[in-house]
Amino acid sequence: MSDRTIRTAMIVLATIGLGVASYLTYVHYSGTPPLCSTTHNTCLKVQTSIYSKLAGVPVALIGLLGYVAILGSLLVPQREETRFATMAFVLVGFGFSAYLTSREAFSLHEYCEWCLSSAAIMTVLACLSVWRFLRGEAPPASAPSATAA
Amino acid sequence: MTPPSDTDPDLTRKERREQARAERKAMEAAAAQSAQRKRMIQLGGVIGVVVVIIVVIVLATSGGSGGGSGLAKGSAANANIATVSSLIKGIPQSGNVLGHPNAPVTLQYFGDLECPICREFTLSALPTIVQKYVRAGKVKIEYNSLETATREQETFRTQQIAAYAAGKQNLAWYFIELFYHEQGQEDSGYVTEKYIQGLAAQVPGLNLPNWSAARNDPTYAEQVTHDAQVANAEGFTGTPSFLLGKSGQHMEKLEISNPEETSAFEAAINKQL
Repeated sequence: MSDRTIRTAMIVLATIGLGVASYLTYVHYSGTPPLCSTTHNTCLKVQTSIYSKLAGVPVALIGLLGYVAILGSLLVPQREETRFATMAFVLVGFGFSAYLTSREAFSLHEYCEWCLSSAAIMTVLACLSVWRFLRGEAPPASAPSATAA
Repeated sequence: MTPPSDTDPDLTRKERREQARAERKAMEAAAAQSAQRKRMIQLGGVIGVVVVIIVVIVLATSGGSGGGSGLAKGSAANANIATVSSLIKGIPQSGNVLGHPNAPVTLQYFGDLECPICREFTLSALPTIVQKYVRAGKVKIEYNSLETATREQETFRTQQIAAYAAGKQNLAWYFIELFYHEQGQEDSGYVTEKYIQGLAAQVPGLNLPNWSAARNDPTYAEQVTHDAQVANAEGFTGTPSFLLGKSGQHMEKLEISNPEETSAFEAAINKQL
């Protein structure tokens, strides 16, 4: 799989994640209950729980900022440093998602589909960003091996 | 056997070219290996930082709650929410009143949310009264505050206003019931802003931003002051204290020696019906 394909997939995933985080941020500040497929709106319980904020900042807003950072690092011209930055942002987001999901599972015993979808996106992004970073830089088009052909 | 060198005159031109290519490949492989090692170190560093961040978050969000703080967590909190919901779910609430608005009898309950005896009453006798009379539409219960067990007046007002603010969404009784269910050790200072926020977060369906805004509504501070005036006029010095009477008419003091037992309440209520 080419670096361009991986990067495009990551941009698509980060955009979807940004949409999810934006919706949850809107829900938080508007006070409207989130759309939820469960009959007793577990999303609302999770979104209004004590774990919905970190140091007074809504975790949805933290997620939104995280996705903006990830997307930003993917959209700038790509170098070794930007790939490292993308991976660092994504791994921090992945760790934070893992923490929030564990709170849902072990503290609240309720799950929010929006949060789980964001966690799934972060997991895929984490795999792709680590793989992409460890693969290193693709050989430039003007490399001797390319011109020799 | 010694390796061939560039200067070896015995080597053909082709052999020298292959030798140079092999050396270049070896150098590229070594550079790639070095770069890979560097990336692995960077990856390890990032993972280490992430782990530290998460540990700090876990410690920060776990500190100050649970284990003597009074605020239940996890399955314990869920059990309390389920208990309270099964008791009062479906019963009309209006502000600090639980019960049908046209219930013929009114019971006024003066309590301090930190009072252990109020807790005993709320967890033992009150459920029977609720099931038997309130749910049936015969009695409505009005919760009023009276500072007794809470040491700091500011804390008393803060927690009581928080309860009344939930009443703006007609959920005050969830807050009150959950407070009593998760009451902490008396005089331990467990009622903090975090506790109040955590408790509010457990109230099913409570819109937290609206609730937070309502806490600044002066109406509720005035209500706490009014409660104190009524209790003072009635000569109440302890909690729980009660007034009972036909709705909309003069309320009389209800002297209960043992608030944990339902029988005295039942006898008094039956007399009013």
